[in-house]
Amino acid sequence: MKGIIFNLLSESVIQEFGENTWDDLLDAAGLDGSYTSLGSYDDAEIFKLVGVASEKLMLPPDEVLRWFGRTAMPLLQKRYPGFFATHDNTRSFALTLNDIIHPEVRKLYPGAITPVFDFDNSNPEELVMGYQSARKLCALAEGFLAGAAEHYGERLDFQQPCCMNRGDDKCVFNLKFAKLMK
Amino acid sequence: MTTPDAGALNAPPSTAVYAEVARLERRLKRETSARLQAESVAERGLRDLYQRQQQIGLLEAIAVAANEAIQAEDAMRQALIAICRFTQWPMGHVWLVTGGEHIEPWLRSSRLWHTGPIERHEAFCVATGTVQFQLGEGLPGRIWSSGKPVWITDVTTDPNFMRTSQAVAAGFKAAFGFPVLVGNEVVAVLEFFSEEMLPPDDNLLSVMGQIGTQLGRVVERQRARDQLMHDALHDSLTKMANRALFLDRLRNVMARTARDKDYAFAVLFLDLDRFKTVNDSLGHAAGDQLIVGVANRLVECLRDTDLVTRQDGTAGQAEYEENLVARLGGDEFTILLDNISDVSDPIRVAERIKEALAAPFFIQGQQVYSSASIGIALSTTGYQDVQDILRDADVAMYRAKSIGPARWELFDQAMRERAVARLKLEVDLHRAVEQQEFKLVYQPVVSLSDGVVRGFEALVRWQHPTRGIVSPAEFIPLAEEVGLIGALGAWVLNTACTQAALWQTSYPRGEPLTMSVNVSANQLTQGDLVAQVADVLLRTGLIPSTLKLELTESVVMGDAERARGIFMALKGLDVQLSLDDFGTGYSSLSQLRRLPLDTLKVDRSFVSAMDSDDEKRQITQIIVSLAQLLGMTVVAEGAETLGEVLALKAMGCEFVQGYYYYRPLDTADAEGLLRLPQSGV
Repeated sequence: MKGIIFNLLSESVIQEFGENTWDDLLDAAGLDGSYTSLGSYDDAEIFKLVGVASEKLMLPPDEVLRWFGRTAMPLLQKRYPGFFATHDNTRSFALTLNDIIHPEVRKLYPGAITPVFDFDNSNPEELVMGYQSARKLCALAEGFLAGAAEHYGERLDFQQPCCMNRGDDKCVFNLKFAKLMK
Repeated sequence: MTTPDAGALNAPPSTAVYAEVARLERRLKRETSARLQAESVAERGLRDLYQRQQQIGLLEAIAVAANEAIQAEDAMRQALIAICRFTQWPMGHVWLVTGGEHIEPWLRSSRLWHTGPIERHEAFCVATGTVQFQLGEGLPGRIWSSGKPVWITDVTTDPNFMRTSQAVAAGFKAAFGFPVLVGNEVVAVLEFFSEEMLPPDDNLLSVMGQIGTQLGRVVERQRARDQLMHDALHDSLTKMANRALFLDRLRNVMARTARDKDYAFAVLFLDLDRFKTVNDSLGHAAGDQLIVGVANRLVECLRDTDLVTRQDGTAGQAEYEENLVARLGGDEFTILLDNISDVSDPIRVAERIKEALAAPFFIQGQQVYSSASIGIALSTTGYQDVQDILRDADVAMYRAKSIGPARWELFDQAMRERAVARLKLEVDLHRAVEQQEFKLVYQPVVSLSDGVVRGFEALVRWQHPTRGIVSPAEFIPLAEEVGLIGALGAWVLNTACTQAALWQTSYPRGEPLTMSVNVSANQLTQGDLVAQVADVLLRTGLIPSTLKLELTESVVMGDAERARGIFMALKGLDVQLSLDDFGTGYSSLSQLRRLPLDTLKVDRSFVSAMDSDDEKRQITQIIVSLAQLLGMTVVAEGAETLGEVLALKAMGCEFVQGYYYYRPLDTADAEGLLRLPQSGV
């Protein structure tokens, strides 16, 4: 797992719960917590952190991931405004994940293993998005999508008919976006 | 609990401790910020490095494509693929600047595309294929006019994109393009489209500019190669196809005759009549101008589409375009008429060429008339080799030329046989000179007053080892043409003089025997006739005044001034001079008077049947009278009947040759005649 994810998690936790909470999480997970965006770290570390957060916050791990994704999105936007600026809605942004955003991620972090998305863009009312990743972090993806929708001032209706965690080959998201009145 | 520190733990934190914590927090923030900055710097560096590597990879791919490409088109196709892969943009396309010297240039689609399997993009391709842009118009027109790459963040809102509705339908947003430059000339424009709205990337455009220059070099190289190819296959004077290209095309159409039994073509071989005269009298520059003028008219003749089109409806414009005019060199042209329906097609073309060349050319302020002899050969004869059909067209052309100027002849088998026979004769003739296959026969010259033989005319015969005796009418012109006449003439002169000297000694008589020897045009013009004659007289001891050199009227009058100079020198040797075939050419009477001639020989065509033909008799009478008036003797040739002999005698003609008295005799028979008493026959 790339260090940027750990950085985003740490920033999210500190922003919402304070520095002590982050320290507590590290202590509880038995991790030293020196992460830099330039480094790569064992996937197990992120799962440990999510696990201890789940206990501490008394939330299921998937909820922790959703919270993390939604909270991290504005932080990402602050770091990399370019990815967001060329879109005015979540659907258009999401469609660039494979072609623009992940290639860019690989430019910054050679060797990054990014999830593979597939899209059925035929229905203007609903975007069907497939997610495949060995990490099975579909909940994080959902959180990121929710965060993106918030960024574009949209309400996200998220349905997940298939999930790798439930034994499906891939996760499938049915997404509907509606602009929120300002 | 004795240490002060233990006590301090239970005490509320002092101000100093708060200050210390605040300081540590500031330090932590500083460190965190420094880490973030360092990460940011490193990330920028990594991203730049990655970009740079990708760009190097792209430029390498383009360089390889450019080096490997034979055609610029191949290099551009590879560039589309490589750039789309590099940018991750779904579509690329090449525009070409088309036009020419007299055609206004436009940007037109090259039909070279790189597209993904995206259906909604197809309509955009189709629409792009149907439009063309002027300088400054649309994305490619802007690149064309500026000569620089252009970026459009969103084509759907750009006021000068032109294909807006199609781009909206295709879902395109950002676009960029760059020129392919040869020097400062934009020869093509490559454009690329993305479905994202993207701000200008100057770095990318700069790389694209380099690619444009690379592709320009391929275009430049191709142009140079095309020019070389063109030069190698075209005549520099007329810009038309040369022999190499003509033969190549001929090979193509000949291959088609093998595949397609209904297909036929014709080859026309043209040679200008009297071209040498133009060159000699007006100079080579004028000759070149005439060649160019003729070439243009030939092209015009073929451009006339009604000339050659098949009537079966299967042949389209493409078939017609296979017609080709070529300059083989000098004043020789060839025409390939493709896909003819029958022999009337090439004949119509030949007739049209005749007409087209009939009008005068204006060269260096003068009217110059030209015409061509045309030989036609048809593929239906069944050729295997292009050289054969070309040769036959050439043979037919020679045949046309031999009949008269401005004629066409269709090649036939007899013509080929004649040509082959002539070629064989040429080979044989060379051998004959080496092997001395020639012999002389002697036709007695008889005095009409007393029937006594006064001398002989030496006539050459060729004893061909397989064909027997070959007529001089057949081999003398050939010997002149192939340059053997000099050697043959010298041999004749030498042999005749040797024989005459021998007979003068062996058969002495009051008036010594004369010997007439024919001299050809080449012998007269090529220098050393006087020296040759002097040498022969010296070597043989022949009495000079008994040697009569005979020259035909047409040869002498062709350049009477020159002939006069040589004649005077020959007269200096005291030999006699006869004008042969008199009456068949065009003698100037004043020239005739000025030439030191001793004898006029009346051509056999007037003598033959003169006793029954008033006109012939009158002409002969005039010649005899003219000779008497100019103080020359007259010898009538070809006297075959008593009637002719009597008529000649009545006119006052002094000497005759002919079958009435004697056929030409071989040496033994002539000696037999000489042994007879010198009385009338």
